[in-house]
Amino acid sequence: MERIKDIRSRVVLQEHGLENVLSSDFPGTYKGFDDAWDHDKFKMNFRIDVVRLAGDELEFDMVGIDAAIANAFRRILLSEVPTMAIEKVFIYNNTSIIQDEVLAHRLGLIPIKADPRMFEYRQEGEAGLEGRETDTLEFQLKVKCTRNANTKEATDPDELYRDHKVTTKHLKWIPIGNQSQIFKEGDIRPVHDDILIAKLRPGQEIDIKIHCVKGIGKDHAKFSPVATASYRLLPEITLTRPIEGELAKKLQRCFSPGVIEIDSKNGKEYARVAHARRDTCSREVFRHDDLKDYVQLHKIRDHFIFSVESTGVLPPEVLVSEAIKVLKGKCRAFLHELKEVADM
Amino acid sequence: MNAPSTFESFLLFEGEKKITIEKDTKVPNAAIFTVNKEDHTLGNMICTQLWKDPQVLFAGYKNPHPLEHKFVIRIQTTSDYSPQEAFTNAITDLISEVSLLEERFKEAVREKQEVEGL
Repeated sequence: MERIKDIRSRVVLQEHGLENVLSSDFPGTYKGFDDAWDHDKFKMNFRIDVVRLAGDELEFDMVGIDAAIANAFRRILLSEVPTMAIEKVFIYNNTSIIQDEVLAHRLGLIPIKADPRMFEYRQEGEAGLEGRETDTLEFQLKVKCTRNANTKEATDPDELYRDHKVTTKHLKWIPIGNQSQIFKEGDIRPVHDDILIAKLRPGQEIDIKIHCVKGIGKDHAKFSPVATASYRLLPEITLTRPIEGELAKKLQRCFSPGVIEIDSKNGKEYARVAHARRDTCSREVFRHDDLKDYVQLHKIRDHFIFSVESTGVLPPEVLVSEAIKVLKGKCRAFLHELKEVADM
Repeated sequence: MNAPSTFESFLLFEGEKKITIEKDTKVPNAAIFTVNKEDHTLGNMICTQLWKDPQVLFAGYKNPHPLEHKFVIRIQTTSDYSPQEAFTNAITDLISEVSLLEERFKEAVREKQEVEGL
């Protein structure tokens, strides 16, 4: 019975390979276990703890859920939560050394701080190339590089020229229609104002009009709202017998810093697992014959450590809420569709 | 250029249905659902939820070709149940699961923000 419980809840890390990787807690797999879906049981076991919420980064634990759902959230965060990004670039003049298409591509990848929930998807062909106030943001990039007359014997381009570095600071938001009433100055801007777009020399200039539209990461990676969204399973380290002295120090060196601590008791030093969470699961310990029989490494199958890093467009906790909404919306649409299909 | 438009991965073609059902004639109480413009995100999630249903005898999904934006899911049930019912129940369960998740997540974030605020 204990063995079966282990198979159901733990992934085993061995010297060569893994065991019990897939979830097997489904009805009919094990005798004596009731694995049928039960909302109350789920409600009791499920929990979320936010571990770290700092600026653009969020780390939280999701316990008591199947990998399929955790993975759905990860995939939705990466490719189905909408954001605004530069889609159309109208180049009136570009005499810099960077080619038009390369410049347009570079511009496309700049994260734009604008709340995507305030906009609609732009429909092709409806308003032509103009775009409407509800679905388009317009920016202007007009820079001309000049020589700085006051310097004589300088060699540093920063002193010799003015505006020789075109950065996102030069992007100027042009409100369309009633946008100037809805948004304040500073609501709509590139997330960072120091991204280098192009370099110029005296006489060269860039004159560009830009349209930003709403889109999702499935269409193009520039619409992805996260820098990374990933999860890992909580590691579990068990020492099968006390490890002392030099061996304890060796054990400590096999893991990431902070995982193993050494306690002194009666003049002897013993190893203790302090923070299994910090382990990277490198399995280094299994390379040492004097240690490998005394350590068991597992991962807890339903304990997901999520980490979400936003590009800065929306705070990470809002991104996760949006992902939940996207998933719920999809499920609701499915129910509706199924009903329609059944009625036919 | 003959590259397919990028929006093909998430916008239905004109007249295309989101879900179509085809009965499996070889075995009783089985059906094949074709879901357009969806991928492993939902395919795997729905399939796993179906396995949790004791009256579902078989559930499996596949993405027939990586360039075709759809997945097919085959469901076989016991005789007093139907694949459509199983599908609907799985999605209803998923909605309740995700609703609870949303609630708990918001609660956890609020708690964290209150602690940080102090």
